[in-house]
Amino acid sequence: MRNPWAQTGNYRTSYRQDTSIFATHRELVSLLLFLGFLLVLPQFLSRTQVFILDLILVYSVAVLGLNITTGYAGLINIGQAAFMGVGAYTAALLAPQGLPFWLVIPLGGLVAAFFGFLVGIPSLRVKHLYLAMATLAFQVVFEWAVGHMPLLKQGGAMDMPRASFFGYEAGFRNHFHFWYYASLFTLVLLALFFRNLLRTRYGRALVAVRDNDRAADAMGMDPGRTKLFAFALGAFYAGVAGVLYAYLSRAVVIEDYVFAHSVKYLAMAIVGGLGTLVGSFLGPLFLVLLDVNMESLSNLIKALGFSVAGVDVASALRPLAFGLIIVLFLMFEPRGLYNWWRLVRSYFRTWPFKY
Amino acid sequence: MKKVLVGLMAALGLALGQQQVTLFWSGAITGPTSETGAPYGAGIEDYCRHMVRSIPGVVLNCVVRDDRYDNATTQRLFEEAVDRFKIPIYLGYSTGGMLQMKALVQELKIVTMPASNHVGLIDPPNGDYFFIPVSTYSEQVVALLEYVAKQKKGAKVALVVHPSPFGRAPVEDARKAAQRLGLQIVDVQEVGGGNLDNTALLRRFEAAGVEFVVHQNVAGPVANILKDTRRLGLSGKMRHLGAVYTGGVDLISLAGEAAEGFLWASPYYTPQEDTPGIRLQKELVSRFGRPASYAENHNYTAGMLAAAIAVEAIKRAQERFKRVTNETVYQAIVGMNGPNAFRPGLAVSTKQGIEVDFTKSERTGAEGLRILEVKGGRFVPITEPFTSLLFRQVHYGQ
Repeated sequence: MRNPWAQTGNYRTSYRQDTSIFATHRELVSLLLFLGFLLVLPQFLSRTQVFILDLILVYSVAVLGLNITTGYAGLINIGQAAFMGVGAYTAALLAPQGLPFWLVIPLGGLVAAFFGFLVGIPSLRVKHLYLAMATLAFQVVFEWAVGHMPLLKQGGAMDMPRASFFGYEAGFRNHFHFWYYASLFTLVLLALFFRNLLRTRYGRALVAVRDNDRAADAMGMDPGRTKLFAFALGAFYAGVAGVLYAYLSRAVVIEDYVFAHSVKYLAMAIVGGLGTLVGSFLGPLFLVLLDVNMESLSNLIKALGFSVAGVDVASALRPLAFGLIIVLFLMFEPRGLYNWWRLVRSYFRTWPFKY
Repeated sequence: MKKVLVGLMAALGLALGQQQVTLFWSGAITGPTSETGAPYGAGIEDYCRHMVRSIPGVVLNCVVRDDRYDNATTQRLFEEAVDRFKIPIYLGYSTGGMLQMKALVQELKIVTMPASNHVGLIDPPNGDYFFIPVSTYSEQVVALLEYVAKQKKGAKVALVVHPSPFGRAPVEDARKAAQRLGLQIVDVQEVGGGNLDNTALLRRFEAAGVEFVVHQNVAGPVANILKDTRRLGLSGKMRHLGAVYTGGVDLISLAGEAAEGFLWASPYYTPQEDTPGIRLQKELVSRFGRPASYAENHNYTAGMLAAAIAVEAIKRAQERFKRVTNETVYQAIVGMNGPNAFRPGLAVSTKQGIEVDFTKSERTGAEGLRILEVKGGRFVPITEPFTSLLFRQVHYGQ
């Protein structure tokens, strides 16, 4: 038998091995080490830097959901922010009743999943751009409904109570650290579920329906049920992300769940790599850090007083960089950052051999 | 690098026996509403730079950041300002972002002065540390309704508001005020940006016999409605009026001749008036190389007013307590009333001759406002400064 620690490639000899979560022992160990690194990381960062990490974690949960609906099942969804909003408003209604946050998180996900199921119904009849329009319609209806419901303060702020866990309360100083660990735990749990999904017949059905729903139907899969499942599950992830975001930002306002944010999550999924687990983390990581760094760069340019023909270069830099990155990825690397990750990983795994 | 620079500046300040105090603003220099946010932020930055060494014992550090109208960025910048700059006062911007931070501001007890005039910011709960530089949107709209009631009893009125918490802010108070004034609010419509054809909206108003349309919006959507009113030949049938962010030079440049006759509730002096504040505005725009149009932009005036109040509060805190902290600035700002009211010459005074005042319970600054009308391509005051008594009755039950 080969030494599993010295393995330089995938030498799978059985179906069981082919469906294993970790291809090599080194993968498992490196993941555990990375998780250990993530656990201690906030101790070396300022509060605002931890807040940036919180945002990346929460966005990753939402993008994971989008990768189920759009990446795996191929159903275009441009209403992910609205599903997040459903989770957030569920939290804003339930949390003040005294429910603990660890119960509110799955409940928000379930309510969003229910709405995802409803929005998925048109997917039984329409595809592609027409389906995108259906999800856009949900986004518009959501914004309109919230704006006209006094129960939801017509989109104004609904305060979230402070969360506590076994007597440990999230105050001003530890708020971001508290939600870092809560979000990290949730993300790891949902990522494991995501990874396992493809190993189940439900997960394989998603891919089969995406590639050819008639062929999948002929092979005994139910395309309709599979599509509804994809929408509900993707919305569940978004709902969970919405609850986390609501707690993190201390209040729910409609502006955090509007169409522009749906586009942002779609951009994150594309930049990260559609239909990939690692891409769901790399997309939010890249775009959030890009934004923060562009902010620093624009402040520097502003301090230097640099302008071209009266154009405020400093202010124009951030939106310009965001748009440019999306276009460049679509043109030159449609497989997203995941492909770069795959190449780097492959290099180290096969080292010292070329392949 | 930045930390080193800040540290060096702080060390230099201490060496000279001066406290460095950061005046921090974050708002939409780019993104949605940036047509308002960019001049507003410029007004704050320029006024701060103008006053940088004006307070004995204090050196001002002027920091202006772009949040792109994104609430998460607003929150991050605020927290960074609290941790890194130990800000004694925070100048904020959007309605949603500020509403979201109410509980946090209350917990930290940091005086916060938003560009948003949403009454919900100063209402309980958690409104004790919010101070709005001018009258609220609700008060402005109620004042417009009072003006309408004086023009025609029992008039039919429609409200057109922005589809956001900012737009919806005055609707409830407007309904109550209209009832007391004997006006009929026959329709409330939400209109945002991109309203390139308003024929259906205006025909609907015409069918309902609407005589006055009151807007709570930004200039762009209002300009489109004004142009369509003119195109459809309805200018003689209905008059348009708007709260503070609907008007100004932006509206005139966007709507052109269609803006003629538009009525605007504004607390600010116009660029044509010769007051110390307006003279300073023109000087600062020129000195700091801003676009020439900023000299006539009321959003720049608004930014200057917010900065002026903040700097004055810092100055009074230093004079009275010999140290500038969030607590001393709070004491200074709630003491800004009666003979200690502030007069920067940027906003009109009330009948009592007060330009800007605050107390613990009255947290709106410049409460006087005038109705201005577009005549010959510029806004001309058509009323004396006044405050709306009815607003306090309908909102606070006083």
